[in-house]
Amino acid sequence: MKKYLILILASVAMMSSCEKNIELDLPPIDQKVVVEGYVENGLPPYVILSKTEPYFDPIGQNTINNLPVRGALVYISDGIDTVQLTELDTSINGVSLGGFYVALDSITFLPTMIGTPGTTYSLNIITAAGEQLSSIAKLPFPIPLDSTWFKVQEDLDSLGWAWARLADPDTLGNAYRWFAKRLNKDDFFIAPIGSVFEDRFINGRSFNFPYNRGSIQNSEAEEDNNEEADYYKKGDTIVVKFCTIDFATYEFWRDAENQVSSNGSPFAVPSNVKSNITGGRGLFATYTASFDTIIAN
Amino acid sequence: MKYYLLLAIGLFLFSTSVSAQENQKKATISGYVNDSTSGEALIGAAIYIKEMQKGTNANAYGFFSLTLTPGKYTLIVNYIGYREQVLEIDLTADKKLNVDLLPNGIEKKEVVIVADRKDKNVQSTDMGRVELEVDKIKSLPALLGEVDILKTLQLLPGVQNAGEGNSGFYVRGGGPDQNLILLDEGVVYNASHLFGFFSVFNPDAVKNVTLIKGGMPAQYGGRLASVVDISMKDGNQKKFKASGGLGYIASRLTLEGPIVKDKSSFMISGRRTFIDLFLREPFIKSDSRIAGNSYYFYDLNAKVNYTLSPKDRLFLSGYFGRDVFNFKSADTGFKVRIPWGNATTSLRWNHLFNDQLFMNTSLIFNDYKFEFGASQQEFDFKIFSGIRDYNAKIDLNWFPNILHNVKFGGNYIYHRFTPTNAYARSGDVVFDLGKVTRFYAHDASFYVNDEWDVTEKFRVNAGVRVSYFAHIGPFSRYVEDPSFPGKFLDTIDYAQGRKVADYLNAEPRFSMRYELNKSSSVKASFTQNYQYIHIASFGSVSLPTDVWVPSTDKVKPQFGTQYSLGYFKNLKDNMYETSVEVYYKEMKNQIDYEEGATPDGDVRNNPDNNFVFGKGWSYGAEFFVKKTMGKLNGWIGYTLSYTKRKFPDLNQGREFSAKYDRRHDASLVVVYDHSKKWTFGLTWVYATGDALTLPAERYFMSAGPPVNIDQSGQVGVNNNFYILSGFDKRNDFRQKAFHRLDISATLRSQKQRNYETEWVFAVYNFYGRQNPYFIYFDVQGNSQDGNQQVQAKQVSLFSVIPSVTYNFKF
Repeated sequence: MKKYLILILASVAMMSSCEKNIELDLPPIDQKVVVEGYVENGLPPYVILSKTEPYFDPIGQNTINNLPVRGALVYISDGIDTVQLTELDTSINGVSLGGFYVALDSITFLPTMIGTPGTTYSLNIITAAGEQLSSIAKLPFPIPLDSTWFKVQEDLDSLGWAWARLADPDTLGNAYRWFAKRLNKDDFFIAPIGSVFEDRFINGRSFNFPYNRGSIQNSEAEEDNNEEADYYKKGDTIVVKFCTIDFATYEFWRDAENQVSSNGSPFAVPSNVKSNITGGRGLFATYTASFDTIIAN
Repeated sequence: MKYYLLLAIGLFLFSTSVSAQENQKKATISGYVNDSTSGEALIGAAIYIKEMQKGTNANAYGFFSLTLTPGKYTLIVNYIGYREQVLEIDLTADKKLNVDLLPNGIEKKEVVIVADRKDKNVQSTDMGRVELEVDKIKSLPALLGEVDILKTLQLLPGVQNAGEGNSGFYVRGGGPDQNLILLDEGVVYNASHLFGFFSVFNPDAVKNVTLIKGGMPAQYGGRLASVVDISMKDGNQKKFKASGGLGYIASRLTLEGPIVKDKSSFMISGRRTFIDLFLREPFIKSDSRIAGNSYYFYDLNAKVNYTLSPKDRLFLSGYFGRDVFNFKSADTGFKVRIPWGNATTSLRWNHLFNDQLFMNTSLIFNDYKFEFGASQQEFDFKIFSGIRDYNAKIDLNWFPNILHNVKFGGNYIYHRFTPTNAYARSGDVVFDLGKVTRFYAHDASFYVNDEWDVTEKFRVNAGVRVSYFAHIGPFSRYVEDPSFPGKFLDTIDYAQGRKVADYLNAEPRFSMRYELNKSSSVKASFTQNYQYIHIASFGSVSLPTDVWVPSTDKVKPQFGTQYSLGYFKNLKDNMYETSVEVYYKEMKNQIDYEEGATPDGDVRNNPDNNFVFGKGWSYGAEFFVKKTMGKLNGWIGYTLSYTKRKFPDLNQGREFSAKYDRRHDASLVVVYDHSKKWTFGLTWVYATGDALTLPAERYFMSAGPPVNIDQSGQVGVNNNFYILSGFDKRNDFRQKAFHRLDISATLRSQKQRNYETEWVFAVYNFYGRQNPYFIYFDVQGNSQDGNQQVQAKQVSLFSVIPSVTYNFKF
């Protein structure tokens, strides 16, 4: 809604507003550890550790290579077993994935733990510098979509959104995240802005909802910058990865997507993304996925 | 116990008045001061007894009363912009005296802007009280030519603007909800159009504006920071008049005249924007992509009054205003309609019990509504909020003798608050957004106040206000699970009329003046105020979505204490008025939303479940020099101030600057009456930049699990990253300083058969200063090349804006 308030303001501002680059002198920071922890159903848990950096530092290969937190002790427990995650030092597309810890055996590379719905996982980290971080998250049971389809948008010949019908169970506290990719077009599942929702207002109801295609941040691809932006197109094969998520995962992505989309809004109050990590920033996320395929025609 | 003690003090003051009156045989001169051409009451006109070197001021209805020992007196009656009248009176018995003052021609206009007895600045006990005469502010430059009363108030020391072009204001470190804005006694809950760029007060319909920013007398209450008391024109009692104008933003038309000459009159005034008239056929085809988008606002003011008898007069006045915004996306079929606005009605009865006792009784209704409706294909979404009051009020003004001016009365308000409620539907499925939640409350108060000349040099103004507030049912308190927002452990239901929480408080008000000599005085004041209704705002600026909520079992009333001390001196036979005031103010039980709260958290919940509470304080010094006479007049004001907040649950419990903590705030106002034809105006303002929270650090998060495995086993790597911001200290950064020069020139045509016209040419932001409005961050370059960077960009709203406004009168 704020978006439309901004729109009104913008129409006023159009009369004469102007903008210019400014330099801001911010005080030095104490770098904090950033946790990206993942437990997915059927997969071994993994954790990526990095650091925060001063807001206006240039972003490049060097800084990205300096960010990983290497040599940490990372433990995950499912309440019965506790495993230490193995640090992998690999790189993909020239980007170092240092600070990458996986629940795989360091010799056999077989999983030492597998995400099982209904299980509560706890995460404990001790970095080489002695910082201690921890978190707890529950991997929820799957709630698959009833049905999925493609629908052309009014007035548009071949462009439209992906639609789905969900029957929310009659227990409060379910939260969801939507990802989708086009076969042979997208390399990975994309979460459009607004990808998370919870059942506070829809508890126990069945209803239809659409999602747009979304794009990666600052995408320079032509289809993300012309009239096809955010739309699926007739002929697309859309794979939907619909996840039930822990409530803390919902809160983190609600705030994070909000922060990204309201950057600079004069109406927004700047605030931190709500995190379930004690001792640092980031998120210990849980995803239980169910998959659907839509042929757009 | 403390309440009764204070009441006793109040009653004591009261009784001293009575006994003083009984000492000697007395006679009373009383009556009304009016404009001789229109019959409009002259609020605050000065009536001065030369022999006694004492006087009084006409009240809000133009009434005055002086009780003296019989004898011969010289009465001097004056009001700014009017010819002084000197009357010789032989007072033997009670006497009625209505004084009609003749307005000066423009060429004789001596004093601009502020209506005062010439030495009222020094003589009164008022601190931080300013009256604006609306006719006179029209020659000052205005944004897009739209004259705005509230923006003129911002030019006074101690009053800060709420940002570029904004009509909102902050008084002595108080929040925007701490200003009581009254229009003919009706509360105006949201005084702005178009997100604050214009206030709802059509200057053509307004007669008089009084601002009280410190030493609030006991007849006002319910807010911590200030009172803006606005009186609508009564309407010309003598002849029919029309006036109006055409500007960039809006056009205006006002009609007024007698219904029964000298007995009854009416005034009706309208203002409307007209840009939307160009956003439809024939200017834009109905199938155009931008068809269906529009924005407009309008205001309607109307008033009638009737003199029933020499002792009774009735007034009925009303205001109705709306903003309406329509948006339609041609692509997606997304439609939005947002209407919002105020309505107020007041019925008032003036009654004179006798020459010394004046009463006004008012019945007031006011209503503020906001609605947001959106629809797209199968979806419908609506949110709405508002506040509605039924208000009854009785105010008595008793003039027992020339040493006392006693005011007392009572007020009862029944509030109905509608916090943010929502309705949503997808196809035939209605979302469960809970039943409509409302708050209901009783709000009652009594006050007594006496302005008393204790000695020749020493005058006190002392009073007490006793206020009672009760939040009552029907109400459902949702007891939230602290570890799981939105999940309720329990719901406590209160039946209709059952008390949820109540508060009883006494608010002492005291101010005094000690006259050092004829041209200088020192003044001091001490006031305590309670505020029972509040706005907590999600945004950093006031928006029509801001929701008023009452004090409840969770929300304690705001409590403010203010001390101020001032030195006032007039120079060169009152040509210059100067003053220095210092103040210290403490505010308890301040309200804010918890960190990271969003408006949807209020839906199907009690909004106060998302509040956090803390305290605030503000102190400062205000310097003011005003030239009141001559062709060149105006003022310079400067304020040095500090405004802080401390909330245990915000900023990790550390103290922080309020957004509008402004170290320096200065303004210069100059009006030059060049000739009958031309008047020139100039204003310059300077303010320390707003306090602002900037991110301290950034971090990267993959937008989803980096390792992607789909159901066919195909593996992908998510390389979509979000750059997230980490914040540390709240409001720890400053925007660049704000300064701006505006100029105007008014050209008046010569009067031709009662038809007068006026062209106002103005330039806003004359030297094109790019004042900061907000800052945002743009990620530039490519991370693969290693030259990606976050760039801060400052957006300014208005550069140089010229405007022309045409006004007419006949």
